Amino acid sequence: MTARDRILSAIRATLGPGKPPAQIAAEAVALLDPADTARPRLAAPALPDAFALKATALGTSIDRVAGMAELPQAMARYLSAHGLPPSFAMQPAPELAALDWQGLAPHPGVAADEPAALGLALYGIAESGSLVVHSGPENPILMAFLPLHHVVVLREATLLPHLEDYAARLSAQAIPRNAILITGPSGTTDIEGSYVRGAHGPGFLHVILIAEPG
Amino acid sequence: MSALPDFKDRAKAALADPVLKTAIDRTTGNAERKRAAALAAFPEFEAARARGKAIKDHVTAHLDHYLEQFERNATARGAQVHWAADDAEARAIVTRICLAAEAKLVTRAKSMLGEEIGLPHALADAGIERVETDLAEHIIQLAGEAPSHIIWPAMHRTREQVAELFKAGHQPPPAAEDPATMVQSARRVLREKFLSADIGISGANFLVADTGATCTVTNEGNAELTTTPPRIHIVTAGIEKLVPSTAHAFALLRLLVRSATGGEMTQYTTFHAGPRRPGDADGPEEMHIVLVDNGRATMLANEFREMLRCIRCGACMNHCVVYRQIGGHAYGGTYPGPMGSVLTPVLDGLAASRDLPNACTMNGRCAEVCPVGIPLPTLLRAWRRRSWREGLEPGSVRAGIGLWAQLARRPRLYRLATRIGLPLLRLFGRGGWISRLPLAGGWTDHRDLPRPAAQSFMDQYRAQQKGRK
Repeated sequence: MTARDRILSAIRATLGPGKPPAQIAAEAVALLDPADTARPRLAAPALPDAFALKATALGTSIDRVAGMAELPQAMARYLSAHGLPPSFAMQPAPELAALDWQGLAPHPGVAADEPAALGLALYGIAESGSLVVHSGPENPILMAFLPLHHVVVLREATLLPHLEDYAARLSAQAIPRNAILITGPSGTTDIEGSYVRGAHGPGFLHVILIAEPG
Repeated sequence: MSALPDFKDRAKAALADPVLKTAIDRTTGNAERKRAAALAAFPEFEAARARGKAIKDHVTAHLDHYLEQFERNATARGAQVHWAADDAEARAIVTRICLAAEAKLVTRAKSMLGEEIGLPHALADAGIERVETDLAEHIIQLAGEAPSHIIWPAMHRTREQVAELFKAGHQPPPAAEDPATMVQSARRVLREKFLSADIGISGANFLVADTGATCTVTNEGNAELTTTPPRIHIVTAGIEKLVPSTAHAFALLRLLVRSATGGEMTQYTTFHAGPRRPGDADGPEEMHIVLVDNGRATMLANEFREMLRCIRCGACMNHCVVYRQIGGHAYGGTYPGPMGSVLTPVLDGLAASRDLPNACTMNGRCAEVCPVGIPLPTLLRAWRRRSWREGLEPGSVRAGIGLWAQLARRPRLYRLATRIGLPLLRLFGRGGWISRLPLAGGWTDHRDLPRPAAQSFMDQYRAQQKGRK
């Protein structure tokens, strides 16, 4: 007998004959209802405000701008405020490449000691101030982890109230290889419980929140 | 790791170590305060806890169904699923994958299951360099120690001790001894390892049945740096980690993070569904998932079934009066504290660990803070009962309890004994307390006993009843 058979038959010897899968699935769905009684309330009525409150509480900085056209200026502002060079790694996404980057020098690919990188979030989650990033041909995962400064573009139109709202969208679309929820800059409390930013991932997380619908 | 074979000796040594006490107090005190604040900000916690408990019980009741569903979906995403009935099988599977890939360097993101199955030793025996990437695991790897806590494995080390370890283990050594400078130094040293590793090994906080994804949570970002650059990603996970869907994982995640660190979300919550896809910008070429039983199917069938709900948050140890005195190493198993005292007899056998369920005051704090409502004191009592039934308790304990049982079952005799015993006991009282008692040094060396009243409760009650008439 294989280990698989041994484990499953030991479990079945205890549990007995199983219910029909459709019934198990229905029971599982019922466990999450009603949603609102067992999850946190939003920090503010409007999603962008709720998101911003949660994100800034975690040490994420936020710059709210009107439209995508203002993104290069917002990026330039951030880089100069932190004394960073105009050269930065940029996610190879057409909507970023299409912008006029003027004096800045975005480049593809991310170095092991990249000072800053710019990428797009697929969704934002207001409940927790989280950003959602999916892996794919246009999105190297390491871009969110190697740089010291991670700058993320988030459209207000993609904000979702709760974690379950993202789970519902995830099941509607093909599951990516990596789905990552980023909630604040990298940190650790492993030395005497004292909080230090930039443990392995970015020490700085900056969100440029775009008001115009995409 | 402590070399002392006996729990009582290890506990004694830990109690005599003032540095250890300072280190434990700093971390558990912080954890307790932060958890309390997180719960105060989440009035729905009780409802969320009831839901989390129901989700785990549902999965346990249909464990075979969810295991097969997970296997099917993970395989469909291109992952290779392996099954291990015990720790030896799990070690063999991981080692085989590493040797087949001719791996020289393996990075590992903290996983308690990896510790449970003895993965660090297995890799060393196979001649493979293992680099722990979680900062705390990095510290204890430099110290040659085992974790002393499931969330903060290096919590027994003070910053001064960490500075010594980094000075010896980092090239160049950190420029200063403050946590920020030391974290920077570890970041620099480990960055090279992340990018040159052949294989990355992680655990899983959840296995999502309907997508076939594994979910890992970290605050440092070391898991993603461990699992993305190498050619192969191996996940080792216990079979109790299953959840029906991503939404169920989120319901449990809210409980896990608040209970563990007092945060609301970990900084990084990552779902891995299979290896790199055609056109993907990065990611491993192979993904292996090792599903480990190691006693869990047996727990499903016996009185420890409720322990399968455990989501490994560590709240029970942060709030345990015993853990906070002796720390994690004194327990001697992979998992310390209350949850460890339930699990270690499953993993290492009751004969070798019968002291652990006894090292509990039954104050119930662990059960109060458990985010999935595990009745830990009840489960510890179940081990005590078994230890008695199986004749593992020493003769002196059996004789003492036997004598007490004889008395307790004979009310007249019991009252007579208390009438004789009380005045004797009062002879040792000094200022309301008894701080020394012949033959009871084991108790009075560490605690005082209140001097008993002159008359027993029954005698006082009877006198009072008479007075009323």
